[in-house]
Amino acid sequence: MLDVSNLTLGYGGEPVLEGANLRVEAGQFVSLVGPSGSGKSSLLRAIMGLQQPTSGTVTNDLDHSSIGILFQDDALLPWRTAIDNVSLGLRIRGKPWPDYRDTAEAWLGKLGLAGLEQRFPRALSGGQRKRVALAQVLALQPRLLLMDEPFAALDAIVRHRVTQDLLDLVEGEKISVLLVTHDLEEALVLSDVVYLLGQGPRARIRERYSVPISRPRDIMKARTNPSFAPLLQRLWQDLSAEVDMMRRVA
Amino acid sequence: MNVRATALLVRRLVALTVLVGLWEVLARFGVINPFYVPPPSKVAATLFTLFADGEIWTHIEATFDAALLGLALGVIVGAVLGAAAALLPYVGEILDPVMTVLNAVPRIILAPLFVIWFGIGIASKVAVTFILIAVLFFFTVYSGIKEVDQRLVDRVRTLGGGRAILLREVYLPAVTAWALSQLKVAVGFAFTGAVVGEFVASSRGLGYLLSFAQSTFNASLTLALLVLIMVFVFLLFALAGRLEKRLLRWR
Repeated sequence: MLDVSNLTLGYGGEPVLEGANLRVEAGQFVSLVGPSGSGKSSLLRAIMGLQQPTSGTVTNDLDHSSIGILFQDDALLPWRTAIDNVSLGLRIRGKPWPDYRDTAEAWLGKLGLAGLEQRFPRALSGGQRKRVALAQVLALQPRLLLMDEPFAALDAIVRHRVTQDLLDLVEGEKISVLLVTHDLEEALVLSDVVYLLGQGPRARIRERYSVPISRPRDIMKARTNPSFAPLLQRLWQDLSAEVDMMRRVA
Repeated sequence: MNVRATALLVRRLVALTVLVGLWEVLARFGVINPFYVPPPSKVAATLFTLFADGEIWTHIEATFDAALLGLALGVIVGAVLGAAAALLPYVGEILDPVMTVLNAVPRIILAPLFVIWFGIGIASKVAVTFILIAVLFFFTVYSGIKEVDQRLVDRVRTLGGGRAILLREVYLPAVTAWALSQLKVAVGFAFTGAVVGEFVASSRGLGYLLSFAQSTFNASLTLALLVLIMVFVFLLFALAGRLEKRLLRWR
């Protein structure tokens, strides 16, 4: 589905990220974790085609319209109602009325926002706004979803619930996901595969971990799975070692 | 209207009544010289006579024509130039300094020049109003486009939107919001331009009447005209406020 091969990224001068290899198979949930400045977000931007790699390749068997993107600082159009925000992508793609309205309404329903269609973003809570943004992306039926800490700004309880709903939908629709996060627990709970990026500059992918927890998952129960604690400990040690090593060098 | 808002309105009306009443009494008993500060009753009587004669209407019409024509032209030309400057770098680099200078000086000083250029008819008043508002709207639209929330632009792009979609979904609504919030300021400017233009040289209009009242030392006519102009601006303010509230429901 997505294949990143020997990718090096930089803004002139020393590369941020070097020789990265990463794969996302169809229907897989893959996370990319690493310390700040490891080039996680740059890697995501390169996959989206927003940044030109210094060397290496990004290949995928998808056309651009089947990739969905969700960032932390995504904003809704303040002058559009919830339903008009959700249908925005559909309208851009030329879906006729009333099809786009029905589709948007259905997605708002799936995300638990039925009845709030005519609200303007100002009149929605932070969690509801995130759900609208999610509906906006999922309504386009992406095959691959790229996310960069999409829920970081939400408080813990809301974040937990939005994340569980996202996971249910992604599992149900068999969407492949590449998630960038610095939350190790979140990465393990959600993913089939976790990649650990080392400290930048010249960050490298240090390790690839498979997460053998069955699906569908409940993000609370996944934490009590016998493979969770040892994996988290390994991941934590590897990340700490990486950060310590760079400190010593500095 | 809720109870608190009503109570506030009542308190304000009481304060106004007390002030006007005090003024009336002080002027009646000669504490303040009624030649300079005629009592409110006399001002009201003057106002009544103005309307009873019916002659005031041609003056009101003249001022409104100049104010509204200048307002419309200023908004359109200012907005078009502002959009051009924001979207076309070559236009922007020429217009930016010109507009910045025009914005820094009190543009009302151009009024005498416009009378020389365009005569004492309506054209010179429209020109004064126009220059006041065109510069205001240039900056409204120029900075409105330049300071559009980049996250919205990125969002629409990642959803597949091109230039036309961006213009319709992001730039136009963002700039409209800015422009509507400036409309009240513009209404004030429109009357300033028209009245001052008439004040400088004219044969008709509220500014002309003001100038006449001043030259004949007629304080009560001057005050009556000031009240009239304030009422008009206040009414247009309320209208602009209504429009703003209606179109910016999402705020």
